[in-house]
Amino acid sequence: MAHGRPTKRRDMFPAAFILPPLVWQASFFITPLVFLVWMSFWRVKNFRLTRDFVTANWERIYNAGFFYDAYVHTFTLATVNALVVSVLAFPAAYFLAFRAGPKVRQLAIVFLVTPFFTSYLVRIYSLQIILAEHGIINSALGLVGLGPITMLSTSFATVVGFLTLTLPLVILVQLLALSQVDKRLMEAASNLGVPPFEAVFKVVIPSAKVGLIMAGTFGFLLSFGDYVSPLFLGGSKPPTLSILIADQVKSGNNWPRASVVAVTMVVTLVAVLLLMTSLAYAKRGKK
Amino acid sequence: MTKVDPFAFWSRGIGRRQFLAGSTALGAMAATGLGPRRAHAEETLNILTWPGHADPAVVGPFEEKYGVDVVAKEYVGGENMLALVNQSPPGTYDVVLSDAEYVVMLRDGGFIEEMDPADYPFDSLFPEFKKFPGHWLDDKLYSMIIRFGYLGLAYRTDALTKEEVESYAIMWDEKVKGGVGFFDWYLPSMGCLSLYNGNEKPFDIDDAAFDKLKETLFSLAPQSSGFYSMADTFSSLTSGAAKCIPGIGDWITLLLAKDGVPVDATVPKEGGIQWTESMSIMAGSTKKDLAKAFIQYMTSAEGQMRSAMMPAYNASIPSKPGWEMLNAEHPDEAVRLRMTFDDRNVLDEYAEGKIHIRRTPVQQDIETWNDAWTEFKSL
Amino acid sequence: MTRGDKILSVYLAAIFVFILAPIVTLIVFSFNADRFPSLPWSGFSLEWYEAIASDSTIHTGFKNSLIVAVATAVISTILGFCAAYTDYRFKFFGKMGFLALAAMPPTVPVVILGIANLTFMAQINLAGTLQAVILGHTVYCAPFAMALIRIRLADLDPDIEPAAWNLGATRMTTVRQVVLPFCRPAIFSAMAITAAVSFDEFMIAWFVSGINETLPVRILAMLQGQVSPRINAVGSLVFLVTITLVLIAQAAVYSFRKTRRNV
Repeated sequence: MAHGRPTKRRDMFPAAFILPPLVWQASFFITPLVFLVWMSFWRVKNFRLTRDFVTANWERIYNAGFFYDAYVHTFTLATVNALVVSVLAFPAAYFLAFRAGPKVRQLAIVFLVTPFFTSYLVRIYSLQIILAEHGIINSALGLVGLGPITMLSTSFATVVGFLTLTLPLVILVQLLALSQVDKRLMEAASNLGVPPFEAVFKVVIPSAKVGLIMAGTFGFLLSFGDYVSPLFLGGSKPPTLSILIADQVKSGNNWPRASVVAVTMVVTLVAVLLLMTSLAYAKRGKK
Repeated sequence: MTKVDPFAFWSRGIGRRQFLAGSTALGAMAATGLGPRRAHAEETLNILTWPGHADPAVVGPFEEKYGVDVVAKEYVGGENMLALVNQSPPGTYDVVLSDAEYVVMLRDGGFIEEMDPADYPFDSLFPEFKKFPGHWLDDKLYSMIIRFGYLGLAYRTDALTKEEVESYAIMWDEKVKGGVGFFDWYLPSMGCLSLYNGNEKPFDIDDAAFDKLKETLFSLAPQSSGFYSMADTFSSLTSGAAKCIPGIGDWITLLLAKDGVPVDATVPKEGGIQWTESMSIMAGSTKKDLAKAFIQYMTSAEGQMRSAMMPAYNASIPSKPGWEMLNAEHPDEAVRLRMTFDDRNVLDEYAEGKIHIRRTPVQQDIETWNDAWTEFKSL
Repeated sequence: MTRGDKILSVYLAAIFVFILAPIVTLIVFSFNADRFPSLPWSGFSLEWYEAIASDSTIHTGFKNSLIVAVATAVISTILGFCAAYTDYRFKFFGKMGFLALAAMPPTVPVVILGIANLTFMAQINLAGTLQAVILGHTVYCAPFAMALIRIRLADLDPDIEPAAWNLGATRMTTVRQVVLPFCRPAIFSAMAITAAVSFDEFMIAWFVSGINETLPVRILAMLQGQVSPRINAVGSLVFLVTITLVLIAQAAVYSFRKTRRNV
């Protein structure tokens, strides 16, 4: 990375670039988050927020059985999604990175980017039509004399929703990671007589470790905070943390309690992010 | 080494012609989006309502006559409405459509104004609605009734028979395991269960009865198919994911039945609950005359008739001229909505005494009931 | 092609069926005559497109979304360029912190950004305005712009700028005459992409927009409030708009391709 010329004092040039994003993000990203923490100590009386400093909201939420249930449920779903999406994405990313021709790869990337530009909300609505009791899948099953299978309002449907959200992104990130793998290593492995399937585990995955872990982490982050899929596909059964947030706000303007849940979520996400980053960059142990 | 740039496809060929075509398409869309209906409607009337009340099919003639746009912010559930009212700066909304039991909270918060009964067609109302509790507080009028309906048990007729749904007890039946849906609002759902528990006044119960109610509610958890907002309530009954849903009624099933979905709603023998929707003028509004004119329109025969047939969800109307107009202009709809004068109609059920007026909890906080509901959802 | 490759390409095709099925369903069902979407298909109809054409809430939402998307695109691209150039050019104490701050917003769930923003906006009297939506969206979108521009800057030889300085150009002039033209394609893509992200974002907008609903917020309200294939029709149109934005981004890059060779 390049350096500027040795700068004189009171040089305004770097400041002209550093300050705008710094000030903007500090004002409209950090300040609201700080507010969120502060607000978790406020009170609500007759649907009205009052500034205060009480710990009652924290006590109430942390003593509520439904909060723990929702936390465990959300964490589990996000973890399952991260694993499933990583496993599902890998063969596709592998094929695109090493086996497919440039034309196929380009076309595939276009298709992978397309979903980002259709409203996620509307895609979830479409999935309702697909997964419903008399929906597309069950109609197809009916033709061969099977079903119907109840899919809507189950955790399965929620994860399917998460997958539509995360699968394209995870394939892209994995593809990016795999394209950094040195092909000579794979040739070497092949020359040494390692069968291709084994080479995937011995060469490809270890050398693309960082990217693969980060891809899975994205799968976790996005699904952990998603509101739409658990609501419209999972039928809020049981509610996730995001639904809990919306419910607290809707059912009594209880912003302070919603903030407690939100702060807990942010802390969890940061912890997961740090853990996964350190895992990704950890030196491999002695062999 | 292959270098993959995920954004590389952008730099791949797309010709000037496609570029122009794309821009033209976007321009055309922007033009249609901003174009035609902008012509009139300099002014807007902002209303806070349950979904669907600003549908052109309902408010069209009013918009036409006054040259205004009726803009709605939609909510589901009274607490959601109060939350929105509290969050918004004064003057955001001109009219609020509320359920009767929340009018008192709107008044206590200083959000709505007293209304002059002389401004509204009280003579046209059926006697039951002239002095409806909740709309009149300390003998002053705060809200003008627009529509009402009953809540009991809605069910799919291909899953349950009319005899089976004569009691709420059917919800615990093996037949509907995993098929009992819930409208995601504690008040009507828990109200019906309170009736099932035999509480004379379903919302005015002591703590022992409330604990019993919680127990009854929680015992339904294994039967549950999910928790639905308004649209999901429609689609879960349509798709068959839900075979019955307590705490809803005609307002959901009438429309579905019209579309050929095998559903019906009933008031079980333990009783049902009445809901009402009424309109108030917001204290912070700067367009109070327009707001008044709007409520006058909604209580006129035409406004009432259109409101009864509102595309989002149908309801019964309390205005006699409204019934007359409906019977004259849309006789089929009048029959479907059971608002004919000759046959058994919606007012008869009211007279039978099975219907209890919905209220907010009396002996417990709203929060206590809400927390029980949240807990139930996570079981 | 080996057998393994064949299996893998079938697998890839299956993945694409999964990814694209909701989009295809959406478009197909927007022409379905039935109100409550269920099979069998009950006939072709343009009813729902006509319905949204005469629905003023959709028009207003569309207009609001356009305003928000354009403003967000401009502001977040400027911020993104500043951040990307900072990363490219300067080294200073706390740079890691700076970059973390610049890149982090998209990792925070939008639900949380939404409620944090609403309380904050209420304090500064912006709650319920389009400005509030724009502020929320720029925070969320700027990192995307930064990433795109940074990828492009990686191709610019770090010694070019010092060469220009040695020839007597001021540093600002160099940015204007060398760096900006070089980044132009990335800047255009960044604008289009941030506009597209903003055009689709509904959670932040849902919390802060109040009565000034954007189109996706309207869709969310429709999803919760009414069953209507209008949602499919609107969704298809939104898809058309955002895809057009992407095509414009692509075309922008194409028309400036020559600059890459010249620099």
